[in-house]
Amino acid sequence: MDSLRQEKVQKFEEFVDRRLKPDLVHAIAERDKIFDQQKIFSDLRKNIENLEKNSVTSLRTLVNLGSEVYMQAEVPDTQHIFVDVGLGFHVEFTWSEALKFISLRKEKLERQIEEYTRLIASIKAQIKLVCEGIRELLQIPEEKTVEGRVF
Amino acid sequence: MGKSEVKGTVTSLSSMFPAEETQKAAKMVEEKLSEKQNEMNQLKEFIADNTSLINLVQKLPDELHHDIMVPFGKAAFFPGRLIHTNEFLVLLGESYYTERTAKQTVEILKRRGKSLESKVDALKAVMQDLKAEASFFDSTASEAAEGLVEIREYEEDNSTKWASQSGSLELETPSVAEADNKMGASEDDDYARIMSRLEELEKEELAAEDNEENLEDEDEDANAVESDSNEDELTKAAEGDGDEDELTKPAFHRKKDEGYSYLDHGQRYSESPRKQLQQFNDKEPIEEMSNKYKHQDLTNQFASTGLTEEPVTKGEISHGRIIQEDTKTLSPSINASAPFEKKSVQTSKSEFDSSKAFTGSIVEHTQNLDKSSVGTNTTSLQSSGSQPSKPVSRFKMQRK
Repeated sequence: MDSLRQEKVQKFEEFVDRRLKPDLVHAIAERDKIFDQQKIFSDLRKNIENLEKNSVTSLRTLVNLGSEVYMQAEVPDTQHIFVDVGLGFHVEFTWSEALKFISLRKEKLERQIEEYTRLIASIKAQIKLVCEGIRELLQIPEEKTVEGRVF
Repeated sequence: MGKSEVKGTVTSLSSMFPAEETQKAAKMVEEKLSEKQNEMNQLKEFIADNTSLINLVQKLPDELHHDIMVPFGKAAFFPGRLIHTNEFLVLLGESYYTERTAKQTVEILKRRGKSLESKVDALKAVMQDLKAEASFFDSTASEAAEGLVEIREYEEDNSTKWASQSGSLELETPSVAEADNKMGASEDDDYARIMSRLEELEKEELAAEDNEENLEDEDEDANAVESDSNEDELTKAAEGDGDEDELTKPAFHRKKDEGYSYLDHGQRYSESPRKQLQQFNDKEPIEEMSNKYKHQDLTNQFASTGLTEEPVTKGEISHGRIIQEDTKTLSPSINASAPFEKKSVQTSKSEFDSSKAFTGSIVEHTQNLDKSSVGTNTTSLQSSGSQPSKPVSRFKMQRK
């Protein structure tokens, strides 16, 4: 009886440590990636709006060749911008098109972030649940020493 | 020498190094090793990037401009072109940039590559050390599992003598004995001479192995070799690792020899692998030994050093690092002192492995030999010694 309970507790703990926790870490990492993307696109929108405001038609910039070695580059025509639409594809947009795309893209990213946030919350809830189960298993004969893990 | 009282202790290796502890230590070292391997891979990547960048920088000024997609943020590009292809803005560090030509940039990048390579070399050295450490732990673990036993003997009067003598070996010590003055004088010459002499001795030993002769002579023979190899060891240290090692090693020596030292020549039975090996040489057919010689040199060295080393480390596995360092400093000395007997050490060791008839291996410190007495020894050797006296005396004479 006692050994059976021990076994169960061990199984639950293994489930938390081997399954739920890695899942949680993975989900958080994914969400961070999307946050990064969101930032990239909001930066891009700001930059394009800046170009529009100053009505820039040509610009000079520095290109990073790697290892912090830069070279000057010239853009003769800024009307056309190639924006990354995912999966390695870049689409040629005008500024207004690019801005429209960016706002659409942002919406989608926000949805994804919400999704991941919900997923993370549910994983945390599961962990909490299993920990409570372990506590209950141990509670009857022993004192309530097993704390639910707090994340 | 060697007529005084002898005390000894017998310790089983496993009591000093419990098997699990050793395995744990070995595991830890393995982890460290893989960490370093990752670091190495990263560095290699950097080097590859650097070389490709050097190629690019060399190629760019060939044309006045290049059509490229100019990155605009991380997710967008403008069609554009590179201009001023011979002007580079290079990061010097601390967010200071400087304008350079292609050639100058290449020079900077080459210097960066050099520093990367030196880092790789340093890392390689560290990894080699770790590998040696790992093999040391492994062999210690296996030896402990096999129930190896260490026998150590003390000889009071000799140890004090030896202490003063080893002190004089240390170049930095104020108390340089007169006898040793000439030794310290030209170490490079000594080194070459000694190496050739030792080789000769080794050959002669091989020839002499079949003869069962006076053990006393053998011992004295060994003594002579021993004292010389001490000198040898000094020169080795000077050549190889530089002053640091040189200082630490003799110091270590002294410490060790003061604490416990060494075997008695009168007593035949409780001897160390080295001495023992001589006995083996005498008593065993040589083929048998060579057959059983399977261990790699490195592990053997470490194993043997591990054996002789234990007293210093007091068997604390958790101080693996320290052990390792000690053995490192020691190992050259062991090497140096061993060439004459090296082969036989290994064989005697592996013999224990293969035939479980022996319950333990026996350890001794042969280094502690009286240099001052060597001269007299050899003379007496010549008169009394039947066989190995010849090489020894020659050896001796050449040295002086």
